[in-house]
Amino acid sequence: MKKEKSTKLELQYQNEKSRPKGVSQWNIAWRRFKKNKAALVGALIIGFVMFLAAFDSLIAPYPPNATPGFYVGEARVPPSLKYLFGTDKLGHDVFSQVVYGARSALYVGFGAAAIAMSLAVLVGLVSGYYGGLVDNVLMRITEIFLVIPFLLILLVFLKVITAVAPASIGGLSIVTLMIGVFSWASNARIIRGEVLRVKESEFIEASKALGASKRRIIFRHIFPNVLHIIIVLTTLMIATAILVEAAVSFLGFGDPAAITWGHQLQLANEAVKEAWWEGVFPGLFITLLVLGFNLLGNGLRDALDPRLRE
Amino acid sequence: MSTEMVLEVKNLVKHFPIMSRGVFLKKQVGIVHAVDGVSFAVRKGETFGLVGESGCGKTSTARAILYLDPPTSGEVYFEGQEVGKIFKSKNKQEILKLRRKMQYVFQNPYASLDPRMTVADIIMEPFAIHKHVPKSKWYDRLYELLELVGLENYHAERYPHEFSGGQRQRICIARALAVEPRLLIADEPVASLDVSVRAQILNLLQELQRKLGITYLYISHDLSTVKHICDRVAVMYLGKFVEIADTDELFSSPLHPYTQALLSSIPVPDPETKALRIILPGEVPSPINPPSGCRFHPRCIYAKEHKCVENAPKLVDVGRGHLVACERMFS
Repeated sequence: MKKEKSTKLELQYQNEKSRPKGVSQWNIAWRRFKKNKAALVGALIIGFVMFLAAFDSLIAPYPPNATPGFYVGEARVPPSLKYLFGTDKLGHDVFSQVVYGARSALYVGFGAAAIAMSLAVLVGLVSGYYGGLVDNVLMRITEIFLVIPFLLILLVFLKVITAVAPASIGGLSIVTLMIGVFSWASNARIIRGEVLRVKESEFIEASKALGASKRRIIFRHIFPNVLHIIIVLTTLMIATAILVEAAVSFLGFGDPAAITWGHQLQLANEAVKEAWWEGVFPGLFITLLVLGFNLLGNGLRDALDPRLRE
Repeated sequence: MSTEMVLEVKNLVKHFPIMSRGVFLKKQVGIVHAVDGVSFAVRKGETFGLVGESGCGKTSTARAILYLDPPTSGEVYFEGQEVGKIFKSKNKQEILKLRRKMQYVFQNPYASLDPRMTVADIIMEPFAIHKHVPKSKWYDRLYELLELVGLENYHAERYPHEFSGGQRQRICIARALAVEPRLLIADEPVASLDVSVRAQILNLLQELQRKLGITYLYISHDLSTVKHICDRVAVMYLGKFVEIADTDELFSSPLHPYTQALLSSIPVPDPETKALRIILPGEVPSPINPPSGCRFHPRCIYAKEHKCVENAPKLVDVGRGHLVACERMFS
């Protein structure tokens, strides 16, 4: 039935000047994505956190790091209308701090993912396409990065750097950079594998037979055909980076000047019994945002998988 | 038909080393003798068939000719120029010129079109590479090519997955024709298509040959399509040619025992005819360790032990351009 309809449409369009554009694989992926409720929820969560980050000073009732409760004896008070999420020991409004933390989380997530994925794509493409000795050397380096106990090294580096460098260069940027530099390896391997698969396809051979340059083959054929994997990996990478930053801050190795959810968790740690609201709300936001990116990533993976049809 | 040779292949050898993987070093543990000393010439404007069962080296021959896999040894001359020399010279302009003259149509039209590109992008890519068509004429030429292969203009903005196998093969042919080649190597172009579509594609190829005067090197294991389309046929077995002859000659009086067995396997669409089937004993030997002497001797009913095991027969002309590589021809 469906097929009949489409052929009729085709016949109709033949005689018209404006012909329909073909349905690209991206169009198909978008159609599939729209049907995926979980992925839409994920996108919604991310959109919500982005909204908080964009208008943080408008949404938060108090300026960053302000201690409205400190002088009036309202430190560590439970949630109320005045302090939606309560206040902590120093009289910070937890709600305001959570709102300001959104920007840090997204900054670290996108920043670290950008660094990690750039490295991963570079290594994956070069290693997969050129093969041979280049591949061998790059993959051995990748393996070294894979076997390093990543979190420990990260903590040591951060300790050294924050001790040596002046605080003014921005601790959060260093954390972001370090996370990015240490988490590209597994993604590089996945991308390499995908490049190897695409490289052997007949359409690459056809381009070679036509005389296409290496640059054309890599950027016009291989890259577009591994892009869907890169998009999915990036989304999941963002989630991982946010988690790692939270862990680092929670352990006290993050930037003490920055307002991050992990840092809030650390402060809340000493009074879990007396003031649950100090830890629960930042924790909830970390969970929500990471969940959002994971749902989005899974949705994208399903939508972009070329093996699945509608 | 002129007797001018478009393509001359002399003693072409293609070996693939088998490597064992170590951590850093690789060791060669064997050789696949895919193509072992093949010589032939293709005349201008003809369709030259290359027949043989799977794994006998047909595709390796074609890929070595096109330098997609550089041959191990031997020479390929295209219109008098040595192909290997041009590729080794790394002169980009010369290589591109040569690439324009020889094109390839792949076996599987489902895998040989980039799924992320529209038909227009696919067919116009050769224009971007070779710059032989001015940019203002790209779309005119695109529509000409689409018409030539029997597709409609509105197909241009579609993506490969929106087409059937036959249509995709038409797109592949259009892409190959976009550079105006003199030689088209068609590697089992209809093998993965429905039987009902095969005739259409074969007729299209023949029609294009009449219109454009292209020379074809047609590779197939399907004898009926070979009989339909080819002027001359070479039969390949385990990396070597066993027989070359005009199509009619080959199908009416095959001389090599392998060719005879191959031809007897063609099904006859008549239940009354009791066809004489020659069933070959055993399997095709491994190309990693091919038999000595005549490659066919372990399965040949005429194999005379002493000669066939030791002497590798050469292709010998037995008249009317019919070449056979069999010891029987000398005795």
